[in-house]
Amino acid sequence: MNGMGLLKGLAITFKELWKKPVTLEYPEKKEKLPPRFHGSFTLYSEKCIACGLCQQACPNKVIKVGSIKDENNKRKLASYEMEMKYCLFCGLCVEACPTNALVFNQEYELAKYNVEDIKLTLFKKEQITTGEGSENV
Amino acid sequence: MLKTQEISINVGPQHPSTHGVFRIVLKLDGETIVDAEPVVGYLHRGIEKLAEDRTYTQVIPYTDRMDYLGAMSYNLGYVQAIEKLMGIEVPERAEFIRVIATELSRIASHHVFLASMCLDMGSYTGWMYPFRDRELVLELLEMLTGSRMTFSFMRIGGVADDLPEGFIEKTKQYLPKILEGVDEEEGLIAGNEIFIARTKGLATVSVEKALAWGWGGANLRASGYKFDLRKNRPYSVYDRFEFDIPTGANGDCWDRFYLRLAEIRQSVKIIEQALEMIPEGPIMAKVPKVIKPPVGEVYHEVEAPKGILGYYVVSDGSTKPYRMHVRRPSFINIGMLKELLIGTKLADFITIFASIDVVLGDVDC
Repeated sequence: MNGMGLLKGLAITFKELWKKPVTLEYPEKKEKLPPRFHGSFTLYSEKCIACGLCQQACPNKVIKVGSIKDENNKRKLASYEMEMKYCLFCGLCVEACPTNALVFNQEYELAKYNVEDIKLTLFKKEQITTGEGSENV
Repeated sequence: MLKTQEISINVGPQHPSTHGVFRIVLKLDGETIVDAEPVVGYLHRGIEKLAEDRTYTQVIPYTDRMDYLGAMSYNLGYVQAIEKLMGIEVPERAEFIRVIATELSRIASHHVFLASMCLDMGSYTGWMYPFRDRELVLELLEMLTGSRMTFSFMRIGGVADDLPEGFIEKTKQYLPKILEGVDEEEGLIAGNEIFIARTKGLATVSVEKALAWGWGGANLRASGYKFDLRKNRPYSVYDRFEFDIPTGANGDCWDRFYLRLAEIRQSVKIIEQALEMIPEGPIMAKVPKVIKPPVGEVYHEVEAPKGILGYYVVSDGSTKPYRMHVRRPSFINIGMLKELLIGTKLADFITIFASIDVVLGDVDC
C-alpha cells in the first residue's frame, strides 16, 4: 500500500526520540581520544640526538632540524621547526625517530589566526652561532 | 508556432550537490537534458607526478588523499603493488589487520554514499543515520591508526602498528550496532515511496555497457554482473573468508543504492571472521631500511569501495618510483555520466550523479 514505507520510516525516527543524543556539545565537552591519536607534536629535546632522520622521512619537507657541534665534536640539537601548513600528519617522522624523542600529542585545535603562527617551533637554543657555528643536517 | 530555445546552465564547481569541486555544463531543452559536458580537474594535485619525487614509503600518505573516504584500500593497493615488485612475503597477522582495516574503511565509504545520496535528494534524515553509524567505524579506525580519515596505516611489508589493546572487543561490540544501523537505514529510506519513485528505472546501465565503459566494483555488480576481485582474483587473505557477492538486477539508481546496503553487511561478515581467525605473530616482514625495488614494472589491482583500483609502478632501481599511474575507479565511473544524463530530466541529474558514487579527489587525483 502506498504510504506504508513512509510510516515505517517515521516509526524509526520516532524510536530515536527516546534515545540519548549522539552528538556532543563540542567546545564545552570533548571526546576522549585514543592514545594513538595523530594530533600536534611534542619533542623531548633532551632525548633528541639531532640525527635528522625525521627530516629525511618527511614526504613534504616539513621538518627542519638545526644542529651545532659542541667542544667534543658531538652533534647537538640547536633548533627544531615544523612548517605545520604542509604537514600531512602521516606519522612517518614519529616512526623514524630512533630515540622516541618526537611523539604525537592529543592537541587537535591547530587553526591559527595569523599565517606566521602556524610554524611550530619545538626547540630553539638561545645562541645558535656558538662554537663551530650552526649547521643544518 | 512557439519557438523554443536551448539553454545551458552551469552547475558547480562550488555547488552543494556536486560532492566537492565538480563542474558540469548542462544544455537543457525545457526540462530535458540534451547535452552535458563534465569539467573535471578542479582538485588536481598531480599526485602521480609528486610520487616521482618521493621515496617509495613517502608515497603512502599521498595515496590516502585520492579517495579520502575509503583511504585504506588505496594504501593496500599501493603497498601490495610494491611488495609484488620486490617479492616480499607479508606476515599473516599483518594481512589480517590489513583486511580488517580495509573492510572498516569500505563500510565508512559506503555510509557516506548512502548519506550523500539521500542528502542530494533532499532527505536530511537519511543523511543523519548513516553518518551516525559511520562515527562508530571512524572511532575504531581512529583507535587503530590514530587518524579518522587519511590513515597512512600500511607500510611496505606490513602495517604501521599492531592492533591496540581492547580493539577486538570494541569491534565485536560495535559490529552488531553497525548491522542494526543498516537495518534502520533500510527501513528509513529503502521503503520510502518517494525515494523509490525517484530512483527506480532511472539511468539504467546494462552489463554490456558497464563493461564497455570499464566499470567495476559495486556499480558493475548493480547491473547484475557477479564480479568481485576479492572473490574472482583473491589478493591478501580474502580467499579464506566466506562472503556473498550481492548483485542488482537492472543497474538503475535504485540498484546501485541498495547494493551498498547489502555490501556493508558482507563487509561486517568478513570482519567478524577475520577477528576470529587472526593469528599471533609479527606485523612487519623483513624489509630493507632503504626500499629499492629491482628494475621493472608492476600492475596490481584491488577492490576499492568505488570500483577496481589499479596501481602501475615503474621502477628504475632507485629509491624513488620512475613513474606511477593510478587507475582510479571514480574517474572511470564518471566517464559514463554524459551518456547517462542525456534524455533525463534536470531534477534527476543530482540523483544520477550521486548514484555513480564518485569522490572528486579520486577523479582528479
